[in-house]
Amino acid sequence: MTHAPENLPIDAIALAPEDNVANVLHALEAGQVARVRRGDDVREITVTQPIPFGHKLALESIALGATAIKYGTAIGRMTRAVAQGEHVHIHNLTSARAAKVQG
Amino acid sequence: MITFLGYHRPDGRVGIRNRLLILSVGGLTGPACRRIAAGLLNAACVVLPYEAGLVGEDKAAHDRAALGMAAHPNVGAALLIGDNPQVLEHLAAGLRKTGQRHAVLTLDDCLNDVFLLQEKAQRLGAEMLREISRDRRAPAPLSALTVGLECGRSDPSSGLVANPLLGRVADHLVDIGAVALLGETTEWLGAEHLLAARARSPETAAAITGAVAAREQMAVAAGLDLLGRNPTPTNIASGLSTIEEKSLGSTAKSGSRPIEGVLGYAETPATPGLWVMDAPAYAPESLTGFVAAGAQLMLFTTGVGNSYVSLLAPTIKVSANPQSCTRLQGQIDFAADRAFLGQVPPEALTEALLAEMAAVANGGLTWGEILGEGDEVVSRFGAAL
Repeated sequence: MTHAPENLPIDAIALAPEDNVANVLHALEAGQVARVRRGDDVREITVTQPIPFGHKLALESIALGATAIKYGTAIGRMTRAVAQGEHVHIHNLTSARAAKVQG
Repeated sequence: MITFLGYHRPDGRVGIRNRLLILSVGGLTGPACRRIAAGLLNAACVVLPYEAGLVGEDKAAHDRAALGMAAHPNVGAALLIGDNPQVLEHLAAGLRKTGQRHAVLTLDDCLNDVFLLQEKAQRLGAEMLREISRDRRAPAPLSALTVGLECGRSDPSSGLVANPLLGRVADHLVDIGAVALLGETTEWLGAEHLLAARARSPETAAAITGAVAAREQMAVAAGLDLLGRNPTPTNIASGLSTIEEKSLGSTAKSGSRPIEGVLGYAETPATPGLWVMDAPAYAPESLTGFVAAGAQLMLFTTGVGNSYVSLLAPTIKVSANPQSCTRLQGQIDFAADRAFLGQVPPEALTEALLAEMAAVANGGLTWGEILGEGDEVVSRFGAAL
């Protein structure tokens, strides 16, 4: 992740500085360098998988069983490890809350 | 201070519309009520399809909803039609306390002749319409509003931009002494600890977490997998992965102010401020719960689009999804896509949405009103006798 100039359009957004995923504002291709605003920071991340409009991008590596954080709060745990730049969705992320209900 | 021109009611509330309500209390007179309303200028028809045999919470919720709608500040007069004179008299007694103009017509009054019912109701309704059309709007502060906060067919733009926008408006409403209502209990799941932390009292905090737990138990008892139900397939396709993610985005509509208390379905809040209603998340039931609680106006966010609106409370559709804002120009009343695209700071839209609310409160029509999309649907809790 590298710091990037502030005045260019951004490709993905995370509202809280502690978030480890960000939502993309338009569809991104593998290999593309995405400008990501996290909190007040803007950084660049290389996307490694295609990410559909509105879906989530991993801002850092997240281990199997670790927590995905959005809005500064847990939104679930990883069912597979992901690397920075990968697509985060139901294929690698599950609800921690609803899983407990069925427990 | 933002003001609007509204209809000042005898009970102190202020309406933003002045509809004649044709209320069918029970389903036997429903089809006749729809024909009666169709023949009267801009009359609103609500059919409560259930009546005889309602027990317990169903009976209580229907009674609250019927009175809440008939006495609603957006209703200038109510014509109550049904098959049970006792039920209608009970409702009329409630209306007399509020000072609401009303008339009652039963099937018995019409010798069980639906032609006669239709003719009598048409005449009565016409007279009532003529009378309420003489009412005039007068200035009122925005604090006279009760505003229902809803989302439907959400996507990530809802949680990132549209719902936080509603949250800032909700904070403003609370600060000026208005009422804001958050419902959709299953969409507190995963965010209930944050809501409970904002509760005015420990009892309210316990009621919030208890309401979520009760709905989880309801799902488990029904053999349902909450994961498979919510987020919905539409939500998942749009990029929402878990109920926590959806709930955190959904509850952002409530802003940041303290939560005064937990209302039962269709219950009216006792004081101004932010209240939460323990209610089903499905918009038709949820919005009617807010209407019964006195909401004159709804703010309803959507991601991919959702045309449903309340019949009695004008519903402002808000979206931050650029595709929806472009594709659904005849549905989205307030486009927040510029904030999603980073072209304007999200905070810059708060004043604009408050101005749109004032414009609609003044009588400006929403797309849903123009298209006649509105309906009212009262929740059911169990079986009838």
